[in-house]
Amino acid sequence: MSALTLELVTEPNQRLDLSPLTTAGLAGRKPKDIQAIAIGTTRESVTVGDVFKLKGTDAAKLRFIGTDERCDRIGQGLTEGEIIVDGSAGAYLGATMRAGKIAVSGSTGPFAGASMRGGMIDIAGDVGERAGGVGVGENYGVCGGRLSIGGKAGAMLGERMRRGLIIGRGGAGDYAGARMIAGSILLKGRIGRWAGYGLRRGTLILDKEPNDLLPTFGDCGTLHFDWLRLLDRQLKATDGRFKIGYRARRLIGDMAVLGKGEMLILA
Amino acid sequence: MSKLKIKGVEIVETFAEAFPMVGTRIIITAPTQKWALIAAQTMTGFATSVIACGAEAGVERLLGPDETLDGRPGVAVLIFAMEIEKLQRQLRNRVGQCVLTSPGSACFAGLGGEKKLKLGASLRFFGDGWQMSKVIGGRRFWRIPVMDGEFVCEEKTGLTKNAVGGGNLLVLGRSHRAVLAACVRAVKAIGEVPDVITPFPGGIVRSGSKVGSKYKGQIASTNDAYCPTLKGAVNTALPLNVEAVMEIVIDGLTAPAIAKAMRAGIYAIAKAGASEGITHITAGNYGGNLGPHHFHLKEIVA
Repeated sequence: MSALTLELVTEPNQRLDLSPLTTAGLAGRKPKDIQAIAIGTTRESVTVGDVFKLKGTDAAKLRFIGTDERCDRIGQGLTEGEIIVDGSAGAYLGATMRAGKIAVSGSTGPFAGASMRGGMIDIAGDVGERAGGVGVGENYGVCGGRLSIGGKAGAMLGERMRRGLIIGRGGAGDYAGARMIAGSILLKGRIGRWAGYGLRRGTLILDKEPNDLLPTFGDCGTLHFDWLRLLDRQLKATDGRFKIGYRARRLIGDMAVLGKGEMLILA
Repeated sequence: MSKLKIKGVEIVETFAEAFPMVGTRIIITAPTQKWALIAAQTMTGFATSVIACGAEAGVERLLGPDETLDGRPGVAVLIFAMEIEKLQRQLRNRVGQCVLTSPGSACFAGLGGEKKLKLGASLRFFGDGWQMSKVIGGRRFWRIPVMDGEFVCEEKTGLTKNAVGGGNLLVLGRSHRAVLAACVRAVKAIGEVPDVITPFPGGIVRSGSKVGSKYKGQIASTNDAYCPTLKGAVNTALPLNVEAVMEIVIDGLTAPAIAKAMRAGIYAIAKAGASEGITHITAGNYGGNLGPHHFHLKEIVA
């Protein structure tokens, strides 16, 4: 069986809500039923059949082709299987997902991986603000799993994150790791102001010192960290592109709150 | 029926009687192999017999940097006890006092499985609130701040209830030197077998015991039937020309591992042949009614 492919053939006249199109939601459904699923977000109704061309039958592996930044909620709440997006995605990509895999070749809008509980998201391009942050109606940001971003992340990356790992290769906007409760964020590249604002626990690993450091972080000097070896080897196995070594300058904070988090600036 | 012999050394037709135990494996790493081994040997010191040590423990093998989680040299340690609670207490005390304290050490689970023992989960409190946990690859590790940096310790390690303690070989010979040399070879050969340890000093016991004593409150006493100086006084198991007996006790994570280790031991002992001075290889048992595991030497060497 080949992957169930949905190719965007008609540019929609409104934003689309693609949250019904998950592997679990489409399992065992006939092409005709899938085409009838409503995905519009305005009074004017839009169904899958109106804008997508369907191919293949295996819903355990979904493939979106040609989607753009108006295609929201791809893989939202995903519980199993794999979604591949050849193109870009809108807001809420993989938000609240629990398991499975999502790979995006383009960029995404805000809230990518917001409040996700598990699984893996791999985005080759940029992401909008609040990636890995708190979804609407949720208490926490990422609560498990791995969010990997190839390009630049917007503001509030990993806000109120609680567990799991976020990897950003193209830097991030302001307030990276703001109000984090726990978990780890690895960032390469330039980051904006106020990184680690309100950090309670958790770790921000940066490859270079940010231009602005919050005054509420205490310097512990450059030290070796054996746990970074564990992370380094884990990354080598899953994500060969990020090398971290095991020496880093430790800034402990944010002392304005609990102050048990840390910023590790790799040495 | 002719007697079973290997290179002239008689393999007595008897069996080793062994007992079920609970056990686990942990991996200790350090900046150098030497320091990993120091931590491991300290942790497994005074752990020869559950009779008075609380646990039986030993170094299973050395691990290269490519075999450990953190890419540093390490040591695999096995530890056994009769009950889960006792094993848990021993593990906590030994890792807490001997591994946590050892410069540059880290400690990881060496066994998977559903059933778990606490490792970092109890030691983390040493961090006095400054401890941090990290989940990496689905496993939780504690980072406990210490004076040389951080002690990294995995939260839990697996537990097996299928462990076996008390697999043994008794080596009889015409001279102390010959028996010691043969046993050293056997311990080395057993060291190559995975999943087993020989918990006694250098892997060898010179004071095999029997259950009970003439004295009240003494639960084990010297195995008089195998004491060469008592040959003329007791119901001895020794021929007149035997001058020394030594025992190799083997604990393992599984019964087949013990059988494999005993086989490796027997062949290593008999390697030099009867001319070295070894006369018999036998095994200790209590008649077969106490322990459920019976390792018949005849089947083991077959």
